[in-house]
Amino acid sequence: MKTLPFHINKPLQLSLIALAISASITPALADGYGLQSANRDNAKVEKWQCKRCVTSSGFSGSVGVGAAYNDASDIHFGNTSGTDTDGAVGHLEADVNYTSATGYQTLIEADKLGYDTGSAKIETGRPGQYQIALGYRGLANYDTNAALSPYRNSGDQLVLPDSWQTGATTGQMPTLNADVTDTTLKTLRDRFLLGADYKGSFYKATINYQHEERQGKRSFSGNLLTNSAMLAQPIDDSTDELAAKIYFNGKGWLIGIDSSFSQYKNDHQAISWNSAFTPTFGAAYEGQSAASPDNKAYRVGANAQLSGNGHQVLMNLSVASFTQDQAFLPATINGPSPALPASNLDGQVDTTDMKLKYSGRLARGLSVRARYDYSDRDNKTTLNPYPQVITDSYYAGTAVNPEYDRTKQLVDVGAKYRFTRSMYIDGGYRYDHNDYSDLDRDSLQQNTLYAKLNYRISPAWSAWIKATASDRTGSAYNAVTTTSSPSNPYLRKSYLADRERQEYKLNVAYSGSEAFSASANVHANFDDYDDTQVGLTSVDIQGYDISASYRVNEDFNINAYLNQDWRDSKQAGSTNFGLPNWYANTDEQSTLVGAGLDYQNLFDSKLNLGLDYSYSDGQSDTDVIQGLTSPYGDYFAEKHNINAFAKYQLAEKMALRFDWIFENYKDSDWLNQGLAVDSIPNVLIFGDLNHDYNAHYFGLTFSYQL
Amino acid sequence: MKLITQSRLHKSIPLGLIAILAGCGGDDGNSGNPGEPGGPPATEIAELNIAVNDVAFDAGIATINYRITNEQDEPVVGIPSATYIAAQLLPMGYTNAGNASQWQYFTSESCSNVCDGEFIDHKNGQYSYTFSGAFDGMNDISFMSGATQRVVIKVGGDALPDGTALPMTNQHHDWQDKGSAPAYTRNLIEMDTCNSCHNDLAFHGSKYNEVETCVTCHNLDKVSNPDNVFAPMVHGKHLVGFPVSLADCQTCHAADETLTENMNWARVPTMEACGSCHTNIDFPAGQGHPTQQDNSNCVACHNAEWTMSAHSQADTDAVLGQFNVEIVSAVLTGTTVELAVRLSNPATNEVYTESADKLNFVNDLRIYANWGVSVDYTTRSARSIKLQQTAPISGSDGLFTYQISGLTVPSELTAGIGTLAIQGKLCSDDDMLANCAETDNTTNLKSSHQFFSAMALSDTGRRVVVTNETCGSCHGDQQLNYHGSRNDLEGQCQVCHNRNMQAEASADNPAASTADYKHLVHTLHAGSRESYPDINYPGNIGNCAQCHTEDDAGVLTAALPLDSAVQPLAFDDGTFTSPTAAICSACHTSDTSMSHMTQQGAVFKGSEADATAGTESCSTCHGQGATYDVLSVHPIK
Repeated sequence: MKTLPFHINKPLQLSLIALAISASITPALADGYGLQSANRDNAKVEKWQCKRCVTSSGFSGSVGVGAAYNDASDIHFGNTSGTDTDGAVGHLEADVNYTSATGYQTLIEADKLGYDTGSAKIETGRPGQYQIALGYRGLANYDTNAALSPYRNSGDQLVLPDSWQTGATTGQMPTLNADVTDTTLKTLRDRFLLGADYKGSFYKATINYQHEERQGKRSFSGNLLTNSAMLAQPIDDSTDELAAKIYFNGKGWLIGIDSSFSQYKNDHQAISWNSAFTPTFGAAYEGQSAASPDNKAYRVGANAQLSGNGHQVLMNLSVASFTQDQAFLPATINGPSPALPASNLDGQVDTTDMKLKYSGRLARGLSVRARYDYSDRDNKTTLNPYPQVITDSYYAGTAVNPEYDRTKQLVDVGAKYRFTRSMYIDGGYRYDHNDYSDLDRDSLQQNTLYAKLNYRISPAWSAWIKATASDRTGSAYNAVTTTSSPSNPYLRKSYLADRERQEYKLNVAYSGSEAFSASANVHANFDDYDDTQVGLTSVDIQGYDISASYRVNEDFNINAYLNQDWRDSKQAGSTNFGLPNWYANTDEQSTLVGAGLDYQNLFDSKLNLGLDYSYSDGQSDTDVIQGLTSPYGDYFAEKHNINAFAKYQLAEKMALRFDWIFENYKDSDWLNQGLAVDSIPNVLIFGDLNHDYNAHYFGLTFSYQL
Repeated sequence: MKLITQSRLHKSIPLGLIAILAGCGGDDGNSGNPGEPGGPPATEIAELNIAVNDVAFDAGIATINYRITNEQDEPVVGIPSATYIAAQLLPMGYTNAGNASQWQYFTSESCSNVCDGEFIDHKNGQYSYTFSGAFDGMNDISFMSGATQRVVIKVGGDALPDGTALPMTNQHHDWQDKGSAPAYTRNLIEMDTCNSCHNDLAFHGSKYNEVETCVTCHNLDKVSNPDNVFAPMVHGKHLVGFPVSLADCQTCHAADETLTENMNWARVPTMEACGSCHTNIDFPAGQGHPTQQDNSNCVACHNAEWTMSAHSQADTDAVLGQFNVEIVSAVLTGTTVELAVRLSNPATNEVYTESADKLNFVNDLRIYANWGVSVDYTTRSARSIKLQQTAPISGSDGLFTYQISGLTVPSELTAGIGTLAIQGKLCSDDDMLANCAETDNTTNLKSSHQFFSAMALSDTGRRVVVTNETCGSCHGDQQLNYHGSRNDLEGQCQVCHNRNMQAEASADNPAASTADYKHLVHTLHAGSRESYPDINYPGNIGNCAQCHTEDDAGVLTAALPLDSAVQPLAFDDGTFTSPTAAICSACHTSDTSMSHMTQQGAVFKGSEADATAGTESCSTCHGQGATYDVLSVHPIK
């Protein structure tokens, strides 16, 4: 990889090499469809030159060092502060730019380096020609540090204390309450990036490599027949991704090839655990479950774009293949395992994606577009009869792995007509066609009509309204018979059910003065599953967003935003395997409101202040109605967050910044609300995982200006 | 049944209005209020139909408005008494995950001379009853808005002021206060299913005769002993003496799509319901079944398909579907019958080419032979061979010949008819035939019989009195096995259990001491045999049609006169009782009855000559079509 022969001149050879590299991924082909395609023939590019930009050589920027106090008695606060260290914690900051006299430029950045969520980057090269970047970024997700469990992690194993006494139910485990300890569930990701790009006169090549390591623990359900234990499954895995792409362009055309390869490796092949329960049958003292298998994927894509005379054609074809051949675990570890038909899945899924797009201007003010997308998923894995040992306890015959093949096709034709300079209408028709295997329906079709009216009312005010209506139907609904319990014949799974959908959105924006701008929108979606008797029958979504910002003066900005959404879902069910006799209404609501101010250059330009406040509240209320109304319990998350800083310039090159983060957070889930580890007879749970805390973060950062 | 009643009411409204118009002519007389048709009150009442119009609430106190008519849709006026029971149903899973729906008793109130609440006879067939108070809080039960409610109205068992007797009638009405139709129900079983064996079940002084009534009181909130909650109580009462396999839940939980919860037996397994038959299980203690504290887990393993399969006859049917025995010819030579047998697999339409002694799945296959159906057989000791142990005397390719010798063939009966009865057991593993060396599991064949003359097989033979179908109405389809695997109650048992069996001369009830089929069956079901002290006939023993079939002319075979083949009852002291008297006196045991029979020509313990002299004149009065026809004096349904 280090010796990429970018010096070859002949485009043909280049593309062959690019193919051979078989790297690059990100289907972000956006590069190819951007400004480059604009008609620049008449543009006077030389006039765009920045006359005020002074190219100075040498170092610029700042470096800093910080220390903070972080209250992580509940590590969930770490999702906001970036670290779960409780107490004192330090970090480094950098934003350094070195430019040589010859135009060579190096950038060094560090942000909260030392925290789990810190990042750093070194980038060097000649802007506009070539660049090499080396980066690091930490990502963290903190769930809880108060999950109660009697299990200890030991490699792939979750073991109980030596003195553990099993019980038929959680209430009959005599040492349970004495043996539980706090267990932390969090995941940390370290992402390392290496990238290079080179821009020639008529081509551009990019290569990126990313290595990500993940570790931590997450909740896992270890089931043995009807008994289950919540376990802290260890996570130790890594993902490598290599991506390369090369694009060639000339007048009115652009072609490119991009490719990528990724590989996932898991240090754990399995999770296994001692059963805390007395075996229901036989001698099921241990459980074992496969962990995510190692797997690989590669993808190669080709893009082409032609334009001229107001017409443009885009083409994209890509093929990808996903494989995994991780060795199978035995079907059971409790007693002799039935023979497996193969030693591993030898799984392979190939996908083919194709996009064709045309757009063109037919007349003044009138442009049309047409699009065809094809996407195929072909599971080439061998079909075998696999023995089913139900939750490691009893043999229940064999089942053949389903293919779940799928072919999606989409046709979209539309037109945009501009009546006046201030008003245009855009509308179109879209047809989606999906073919499936192994599902209750063989095919689904959806017809969609959409229209958008955009009106610039005045130089200050603009508005648009968009409406979409779609109708989905499909082939005969025949409930799959591969499940061990047959489906209610009246059930229509929501993702396969007939559906009528309406979407409306109205947007109004004001940008009348330099100091004040605002926008607001209201939106509503209505999904009606018009042929469903049992299952999801309707979903209504309504909401609005308002945001505004006001510049009081050169140094003082304030902004505010408000967003609310409601989603009401209705579901019908049956207790007697027939027509519906119970109904569930789930009403979800979310509110997000915030305001912030930013005051610079106070105290003789020595002090900058910032203050942001946000409040978010999401909740879900479910009522089950069968004559009597039975509400589910609480399910919500509510957060007040204050994020403030003050940065004081101590001297010409020295500054001190003070950060204060405060968070008041509460959430609750009726699934475990108020429950102890032994509240459910056949499920050993983590206890109540709800959060309720007030936490502060105080930080001081000293920075030096280069 | 209830639906029919209600639809009759709907039909009766226009009819009733027409009657009013006709009755009133141009007169200004009292016309019925709209929706409350009047008409002349009923004078003859064979049945009472109760239709509930509505349940109205005033300050939480319910008033039930209903109409009572007779079978002619004529209003019944002047009902002297009634009982009203109110209960509330909690839906499935409401009391805890996995729990069955559950009735909660509120109250039972009665009206006769005095009333707990307020009773109004509107004198036009319409009645109203206002309960003594609000349901809410009665019996410490909260009335829950939206819950399914039930009121049972019980009337009858007494008479109108003019003396017209009123049949005992229970009628339930389910409703909820939010809208008309209840959002959920608990319709599991029709009373007709119970009465297929029990004929006319009624309890508590015969007042309560519908399942829908029973459950309003037999629930946790009314009965103090949990064993008396309806499901455990009924299951428990059927554990002993049940005439058919208990494993077949659908004997009682009949598949009936008009009953919304008819599949609850498979879909809602609970400790209470399942444990009342599987009595060796203590769920909370983990004895006989892994520990379960509540019902929330049951369906995790015992889903409906599992439960249906575990209680299903499907495996038995599948095994039996793989084997068929057919007697293709029979010839009597002297006292030896030579018969040819073909064994086949109906599932594959293939003939088993080997004889039974070579087929490794045949555990037992026997053929019994007896002669002389015109005299109810010539011996009680039918001759038999065991095909699984007997090499055929000839044959190949699936058709094999055997001989059964030693039949009793009196010279005067050489032109008669004999019977060959087949029985057996097959070794099986789940739903497949299996090698007997590898399994202990056997499946009983459905026994059968075949008539034959001296020359050939015969389609006709012994008279048919009961059929496997009539027996099966309580005992299941050939599921009652005696002596191992004999289950052809229609024609097999009689091959040995015939008139050659003798009664004990010293017995109080001679019929209860002989194993002759007719007497054996009558006295068994009547519970009068000492060796079967626990027999508790579930129905009305006088309903001959429960067991007797009809002859070709459509006449019940219980009718007199008796078939000429019926012989007198033989005693072990050499005496005989004439045939009709022997049968009737099995149940009608009193001295009065016997002296009546004697006066009419019956012979008790006389000589064989007297007992067969034909002096019985029973049929004169009790014969078919006569004044006191046996068929009309018995409560035959």
